[in-house]
Amino acid sequence: MRTLALAAAGPLAARAQAARFDLKALTALLAQRREAEARFSEERHVTGFDSPLRASGTLSFSAPDRFVRHVLEPRPESMAVQGNTIVLRRGGRSRQMTLDAVPELTALVEAMRGTLTGDAALLQRHFETRVEGEPGRWTLTLLPRDARLATQVREMQIAGQAGEIRSVGLWLTNGDRSLMLVDNLPPGTLAREAR
Amino acid sequence: MTDAADGTPPTPRRRALVLALWAAVVLLALLQILRTPFVADLSAFLPASPDERQQILIEQVESGVPARTLLVGIDGGDAAARAAASRALAAKLRASGLFEQVGNGETEAWSDVGAWLFEHRYLLSPAVTPERFTAAGLREGLQDTLSLLGTPAGAIARPLFERDPTGETQRIAEGLIPSSAPRSEEGVWVSRSAPRTLLVAMVRAPGADLDAMAAAIARVHDDFAAVAAPGLVLRVSGAPVFGVESRGRIEAEIKRLSIAGTVLVVGLLTLAFGSLAALAVAALPVATGVLVGIAAVGVGFGQVHGMTLAFGVTLIGEAVDYGIYYLIQARGLAGRGGWRAWVHEGWPTIRLGLLTSVCGFVALVFSGFPGLAQLGVFSVSGLVAAALFTRFVMPVLRPQGAAGTLLRTALGRTGRSLLGAMPRLRWPLVALGVAAAVLLAQRSELWRAELASLSPIPQEVLALDASLRQDLSAGDARTLVVVQAADLQAVLELAEQAGARLEPLIDAGTIGGYDSIARWLPSLRMQQARLAALPAPDALQAALREAVAGLPVDTARLQPFVAEVAAARTQAPLTLPALRSGAAGASLAPLVDAMLLQRQGDDGPAGWVALLPLQPPIGGAPAPDGAEIDAAAVQQALAGLAAGDPSAVQVLEIGRELTGLYERYLGQAQLQALLGALGVVALMALTLRSPRRLLAVCQPLALAVLLSMGALALAEVPLGILHLVGLLLVVAVGSNYALFFDLLQQPGQPAQADDDTLASLLLANLTTVATFALIAMSAIPALRAIGLVVAPGALLALLLAAAFARPRP
Repeated sequence: MRTLALAAAGPLAARAQAARFDLKALTALLAQRREAEARFSEERHVTGFDSPLRASGTLSFSAPDRFVRHVLEPRPESMAVQGNTIVLRRGGRSRQMTLDAVPELTALVEAMRGTLTGDAALLQRHFETRVEGEPGRWTLTLLPRDARLATQVREMQIAGQAGEIRSVGLWLTNGDRSLMLVDNLPPGTLAREAR
Repeated sequence: MTDAADGTPPTPRRRALVLALWAAVVLLALLQILRTPFVADLSAFLPASPDERQQILIEQVESGVPARTLLVGIDGGDAAARAAASRALAAKLRASGLFEQVGNGETEAWSDVGAWLFEHRYLLSPAVTPERFTAAGLREGLQDTLSLLGTPAGAIARPLFERDPTGETQRIAEGLIPSSAPRSEEGVWVSRSAPRTLLVAMVRAPGADLDAMAAAIARVHDDFAAVAAPGLVLRVSGAPVFGVESRGRIEAEIKRLSIAGTVLVVGLLTLAFGSLAALAVAALPVATGVLVGIAAVGVGFGQVHGMTLAFGVTLIGEAVDYGIYYLIQARGLAGRGGWRAWVHEGWPTIRLGLLTSVCGFVALVFSGFPGLAQLGVFSVSGLVAAALFTRFVMPVLRPQGAAGTLLRTALGRTGRSLLGAMPRLRWPLVALGVAAAVLLAQRSELWRAELASLSPIPQEVLALDASLRQDLSAGDARTLVVVQAADLQAVLELAEQAGARLEPLIDAGTIGGYDSIARWLPSLRMQQARLAALPAPDALQAALREAVAGLPVDTARLQPFVAEVAAARTQAPLTLPALRSGAAGASLAPLVDAMLLQRQGDDGPAGWVALLPLQPPIGGAPAPDGAEIDAAAVQQALAGLAAGDPSAVQVLEIGRELTGLYERYLGQAQLQALLGALGVVALMALTLRSPRRLLAVCQPLALAVLLSMGALALAEVPLGILHLVGLLLVVAVGSNYALFFDLLQQPGQPAQADDDTLASLLLANLTTVATFALIAMSAIPALRAIGLVVAPGALLALLLAAAFARPRP
């Protein structure tokens, strides 16, 4: 039902975007994707470390609420979120946790899921949002509303082109920052490679 | 008996002897009662189980951490007001000293535990092995820690990096993260399903101390009233609330039933005799029976449960009959020798009635529920005492019986016409019986009442409890691994081995996680192995130099790590007393108590038990039988641990275990009830010595049971152990009526006795039906179930006995 409505609204929204590209317009654009797969490479600049810390791996998302981040280098580990459950795997061990028991974690996960599903209300519940740019090249800035998260995370900046996320930047209050570059893949690629 | 035709009282010597004996019995009973404690907790509803695994379960229910844990919800108002009230209430409760621990989601309370974990990380981290301190092992540890830096999760790891670069603290924390925890908002726990903040308060006093529980509950209410903004509503639940509430309920019930029962009996006796003196004498067998019954329970069980007292009112219903029979019959026989004639003609009937009732109640003694066993002992000893009083003391007090009132004559006449009309209904009643039999044959799930149906806790209170538990999720595991051993170190080692077997099950999605005491207190052997794995400073320096190659860290930066490992090598291993009394002892003790128990045997400590609660996997495949956790798979994973002692490591499914427990007792009770009923029949066969008469007497009894069960089935009442007990009582009581009608029909019985006998029979039946009707209105389900069966069943038994009486030849 929702998909249908959005599909109908798509062309209309596209015309309106020319006038003003806001969160509503951006999320309408993003909501059209039901699945996404990508490779990522991440650089983290940490105070006290001269060179950046690097990691790379894959990301996958399927609507409405499944999001997996798989680190392959330097050490394999994964984080899989589905609904209110988060499963962490590292060194052959798994840990299951309840997402909403840790509100800071919830907000960070919802930043990704809200962006990927194009859920404006979800994003606004956890963050103050700012959209800049145009449909072809946009930046979504998120400032945490949760007081505890705000003591750790200063801001998050997601950049993209049309319905695709291209990078996620994170600025922490302790001065650390990270930038994740996202390279989108055709759906099914990761499953094929896994075989 | 040369003076059989003479109604003179017994000799003065005999009178003095009998009265002195009676006074002695009453005095002894009173002395015993004075030194017997009275309890009104829930223990009566828990079976006294012989199975060791179920014993652990029952110990947990009775005195484990859940038995002293209060679940608190704050409803109403807005989110900020609820969160503020949660913080303020938690602070006040923590300061009260009544609680061992108060949790409301505020993490500040755990900072001392965090510091303690960090300090003991090389004793506690499961990653501490010799391999961990090789160049490759150190490199992996460093990489794991580096992967956290620069992320929000790394905020805690970064300041500790130089001291704990391999992330042992992280590794310990990873094992302690609960797989399901309450939702947190504004820093406190909240419900997922309702606007409500949540707290958990663990009372310091043992769960069995209901006065302390009541004080703790009152404290929560008072403190809440002092801090809460208007509009907020407090809800408190948990086992202590159940215990205190049911005690209140049972106490109120005892008062209500004993007052109503006394009024009822006095009323009936007044109607029957119209004389205060006769009334007092008729009530004496009951009073003696009640005193002896309570004293006997005190001797046998060391305590008397409130339920037993509440049930005492049914004893009134039975024992008062004895007095009525004696007084009426002795007066009826006044012309032929009064009490002496009664000893020959009336007493054998009462004796038979007593024996059949005892058959019924003896089944209770062996029912397996301590509460029911008490009822059995109480009833058997009480009835025997009342009957003996009637036989020996009544003739001393009232050798000529007591004159009745006009009303009793009227009762006799009404009884005669009513009961006389019954035989005409014989065939319709048989048809009804056939219908009931057909109905019962069609209902396959007749006996489906559950253990919970015995509990005196009302449904809405249980619903609140279930919703709070759902919201709090943690600490309420339905499946546990239970590890037992003779000494503490052995149980810790077994818990470690069981944990190692459970670890792969998390990965496989069979379980979501598990808690274990071994994470907080590893076995001495494990701690010594970890200490031995820590390398000497030189070796560590060398390995470290190799490990950091290519990583953005150098060894100079990690010198604090080398120093801390060197210091840890001389650290003393953790012990249970040190854990309790250490810096974080106040926070750790409740955790330890929830997972590690020292069992108490009859003579001192009897071994240790570790409980490893399992959390269900979220989104995992459900077990083949639909359970949250596939217990068979867990059992299989644990197979072979502690070979030779299958009870050392076991999987306990609480829900299934309780159901199994109840089903087993139901099966036992059915067998006992059958034996009890056979006992009644055997007694009647012995007395009657005629198969034809036995058959005639059994017909109305069988029909009474059939019709009672049919009515219960028609009303969709799920039948349980107590309904079964009720049916047995119907048989026991009904057999008296059937025998009366049988005797009336025997040649040689004086026809003029009929009115008096009928009057006493009707009066006896009325008291029985009325007292059980009182019980049927009880707020305690266990009593209500018995009352609902016996009140109509006893009336039915009388009517059926009349209907099947054969006309005198």
